[in-house]
Amino acid sequence: MKKIFVLFSCIFSFTIAGIMFSQSTVQAAEKTYTIGTDVTFPPFVYANSNNKYVGIDMELIRAIAKQEGFNVDIKPIGFNAAVQSLSSGQIDGVIAGMTITDERRQKFDFSTPYYESGIVMAVAPKSSIQNLSALKGKRVAVKTGTSGADYANSIKDRYGFKVVTFDDSDNVYNDVKNGNSAACFDDSAVLNYGVKTGLGLKIVTKPTNTGKYGFAVQKGKNQELLAKFNSGLQKLKKNGKYAQIIEKYTGAAATSSKKASNQKSEAESHTFFGLLKQNKDALLSGVWETIELTVVSIICATIFGVLIGLLGVLPSKFAQGASTTIIYIFRGLPLLVLALFIYNGIPSLTGSKIPAFVAGIITLTLNEGAYTAAFVKGGIEAVDVGQMEAARSLGLPFGKAMRRVILPQGLKIMVPSFINQFIITLKDTSILSIIGILELTQTGKIIIARNLEGFKIWTIIAVIYLVIITVLTLLSKWVERRVKD
Amino acid sequence: MKPLKVDVSDLNKSFGDNHVLKGIDFKVANNEVVVLIGPSGSGKSTLLRCLNRLEEPTSGKVVIDGNDISDKSTDIDKARQNIGMVFQHFNLFNNLTVGENIELAPTELGKDNKEEARALAKKLLQTVGLEDKYEAMPQSLSGGQKQRVAIARALAMKPDIMLFDEPTSALDPEMVGDVLAVMKDLAKDGMTMVVVTHEMGFAKEVADRVVFMADGKVMEEGSPDAIFDNPQNERTKSFLEKVINV
Repeated sequence: MKKIFVLFSCIFSFTIAGIMFSQSTVQAAEKTYTIGTDVTFPPFVYANSNNKYVGIDMELIRAIAKQEGFNVDIKPIGFNAAVQSLSSGQIDGVIAGMTITDERRQKFDFSTPYYESGIVMAVAPKSSIQNLSALKGKRVAVKTGTSGADYANSIKDRYGFKVVTFDDSDNVYNDVKNGNSAACFDDSAVLNYGVKTGLGLKIVTKPTNTGKYGFAVQKGKNQELLAKFNSGLQKLKKNGKYAQIIEKYTGAAATSSKKASNQKSEAESHTFFGLLKQNKDALLSGVWETIELTVVSIICATIFGVLIGLLGVLPSKFAQGASTTIIYIFRGLPLLVLALFIYNGIPSLTGSKIPAFVAGIITLTLNEGAYTAAFVKGGIEAVDVGQMEAARSLGLPFGKAMRRVILPQGLKIMVPSFINQFIITLKDTSILSIIGILELTQTGKIIIARNLEGFKIWTIIAVIYLVIITVLTLLSKWVERRVKD
Repeated sequence: MKPLKVDVSDLNKSFGDNHVLKGIDFKVANNEVVVLIGPSGSGKSTLLRCLNRLEEPTSGKVVIDGNDISDKSTDIDKARQNIGMVFQHFNLFNNLTVGENIELAPTELGKDNKEEARALAKKLLQTVGLEDKYEAMPQSLSGGQKQRVAIARALAMKPDIMLFDEPTSALDPEMVGDVLAVMKDLAKDGMTMVVVTHEMGFAKEVADRVVFMADGKVMEEGSPDAIFDNPQNERTKSFLEKVINV
């Protein structure tokens, strides 16, 4: 018992120390800005088959950074999370094909526009829908927070269609392809690119509601970065690099070269084995991140949970109340809400950033810890009250009685719950993809955004999760046997 | 007069609206064996549990060996080291062996070192006739054996007074004799004892004094002969009639 506790405490302190250390070593000589983006938005941002982030936005920001002498740390956290993280100051800027709107101007300062685009409607290849009036009574898919979504919502009453929103472009297109939705609205450059690279949709309208894309920073903050972006963009426009980038992704040349690369990728990556091989590195790093998250949060949540659980059995009304309240709050909050609150909400309150990994660990520690606390408390309370009375009647103080008599018996009752909670923790790490942690699920999303192999990639990911869970279960059973002896 | 080991005055205890003990005065002299009898719900066990503050008195005074147990500032853990207690359901520590059960408190509280505690545990097990059970787990013992280990465990703290809360009520009849024999030996050795029990034979034979309780009050007390052969109180009479008829 004591040994296990000491071991846990050691790992806990090392983890905390490790997090602190890794944070302090991030400082580099050149200023590094954290830039949020959405890597499911080709040709502006996407991951290529080597899982490098490419596209107009990526090449632009990197070229500008090089021109102006700063570093960028790209966070592929998705459009929604990027915008929220920017509002809360978690990241320094967002470049994600974001249209400059009056509403957004209230929260963000925008650079000079770097691209101009319009909204088009795309439908399935065999669809007979040709114009907006044909959408009456139908469903239309859009991606949240995009100008395509704004446009769809602004005309839905006039044309009598329903709007469904998705977080990823991939889900939008699939919904149209499989016939759940009749059409989708998206940026013309995005859809044009998709159609050229074999998206399997056709565009049926001319670009409308023209919008300008801008790089955004938090209003009144990071003006230096904004100035650097503007001056860098101007220089790139002058020296022809800008036109080169745009041409690379949207020009006629892009189409032919894309075709070539498309054929190539078709040849290598439509089997499970091919997909596995092609995405080996990305998947491995996703698995590793998932394991890291799981192990660290299991340790932290167990320590937190045991402490809160013990607080709940102390002979003090105050301690019991505190324990019950903590359990009530963190068990009551959906994990998703808690993750977003900690990652985006806390920095808004305190003004200091939290790395996504740390925010993820805190989220899981609080949520899983609350469940742990509940069964720790229950396990202790399940030990016959006579055991405590007998120990106290001998003159043993509460703490000693708890440690030598009650806890060892309670622990046996709790072991199956602990194993169960470990497995739940592993599965819950997938929710942290919402704050952009590149764990297994988020890795899957990004790969699918590029190759649209949803079924096969999710199958691979599901199998990987099962394998990790099996290993974790075997490990837990082994520990269980050791504890029982 | 012998010095008082237990001096309870005007003790009241309520659980919510339930007034269980109603102004109890109760005294035990050094080396005295007092047996508490009475119908269930009369407050015998509650009175016993107030003596080592397993129950917090609502009002009144409980003085053990000159220590005011009812005073919040009293170090109750220290006081309890001198007050052994034996429970109806034994309450042996299920996670520890018989030996560890007995050695836990003396070693944890710095009364004995490991070797001393071990020697004492073996000696006590011998006294209760279970020297071969030192390594056994409580689950493998019969009820009577468990209770004898529980007595040994309480004695390991070398208490001045022993409280017994219906020690034989949960035992099969054939086990009762062994436990009572151990208790008789203890009494013979001069241990101050307060025993709540339904064993009238034990009360007659061993008690210096019998206290009859009903409805949270002491109804009658006196020598075993006086109480059993010539009870004065109507409640005592009807209670004894029922118990002896059974």
